[in-house]
Amino acid sequence: MRYDIEIPPTADGALEVTIVSWIKKVGDQVSKGEDLAEATTEKITLYVTAPAQGTLSEISVEVGSKVKVGTVIGVLEGI
Amino acid sequence: MRRGSLSGVGIDPGWGETRWKKFVVGDGLCFSGCGGWMMMAAGEQSGLWLDLGVMPYVPAFEIQDRILRARVEGRLAPTVILQENPPIFTIGRSGSRNNILSSAEELQNLGIDVLEVNRGGDVTYHGPGQLVVSPLLYLGDVGLNANQYLHRLEDVLIEFLAHYDILTHKKEDYPGVWYGESKIASVGIAVKHGFTFHGLSLNVDPNLDAFNLINPCGVRMMPVSSIRQILGQAPPMGEVKTGLKEILEKSFDMETRNISWPDLLKHLERDLCNP
Repeated sequence: MRYDIEIPPTADGALEVTIVSWIKKVGDQVSKGEDLAEATTEKITLYVTAPAQGTLSEISVEVGSKVKVGTVIGVLEGI
Repeated sequence: MRRGSLSGVGIDPGWGETRWKKFVVGDGLCFSGCGGWMMMAAGEQSGLWLDLGVMPYVPAFEIQDRILRARVEGRLAPTVILQENPPIFTIGRSGSRNNILSSAEELQNLGIDVLEVNRGGDVTYHGPGQLVVSPLLYLGDVGLNANQYLHRLEDVLIEFLAHYDILTHKKEDYPGVWYGESKIASVGIAVKHGFTFHGLSLNVDPNLDAFNLINPCGVRMMPVSSIRQILGQAPPMGEVKTGLKEILEKSFDMETRNISWPDLLKHLERDLCNP
């Protein structure tokens, strides 16, 4: 099963965040809840975590890009 | 508000005049088995108040990380961590080492460490006399999103400082709390699975000269102030903690009780052995 990896909706949807790091790379196997990426505003760091156990299969938004909360930034293939 | 009696600064900030309703549920620590932290009868949460005193940044951060994990796993009540650190510059996730203006050698001579950390924000200074407060809450419990929570922390600081007749304000696009054009307190948070960590830092009586060695928060020549600089003297740190506790509890509709790190650690280890 494919899972979209989104910037978590824990902030105002209009908020623009910058992807500052991908903690995992494509092909990495991850557990549910494991940290995948970090996104920040000037004063808020949001952790993007794995929605399920599986393999990170796609990174669609690279480090340095600005996106809004809720944006899909990658895909995880669940087990 | 009652005024006139003695405190560390000759102003009675009035702490302790309001009493919050107390609730006791079990040992007040463990929330496993109920699918999360327990909401109190009146919608109030029961939490913990962990004062680490003066502790180097790294071990204090490790404690915060351990508590965060327990919070995310539903094994621990909301916890507010307090600390002062020996001198250190920390660089947040949107920061740059270029905003540290001193050479590595100069910093070594001054005994100031440098560390990259996972809060939002740029470079800041932590040192004795600056109180760092990290509420580890769940945004869903406090009914706020991350931006609203960040601004609520600013509101807590503004209310706290008003008790000392220090009138401060927010600045659009410049998070933190400002006295005129000087920053007296900073905010910077991180959120994982909806759980908050990091928080705020308040300049009670730190060495303000250290801020001249950086572009605080990435802003060149930004003036920084403290309670001591404004009032001419600083209230005792214990009084500051009592005041912030009162306002934080009211602001987040929670009741906290004091716990030491050894006692909290025992609970975490026991809970891991007997989930």
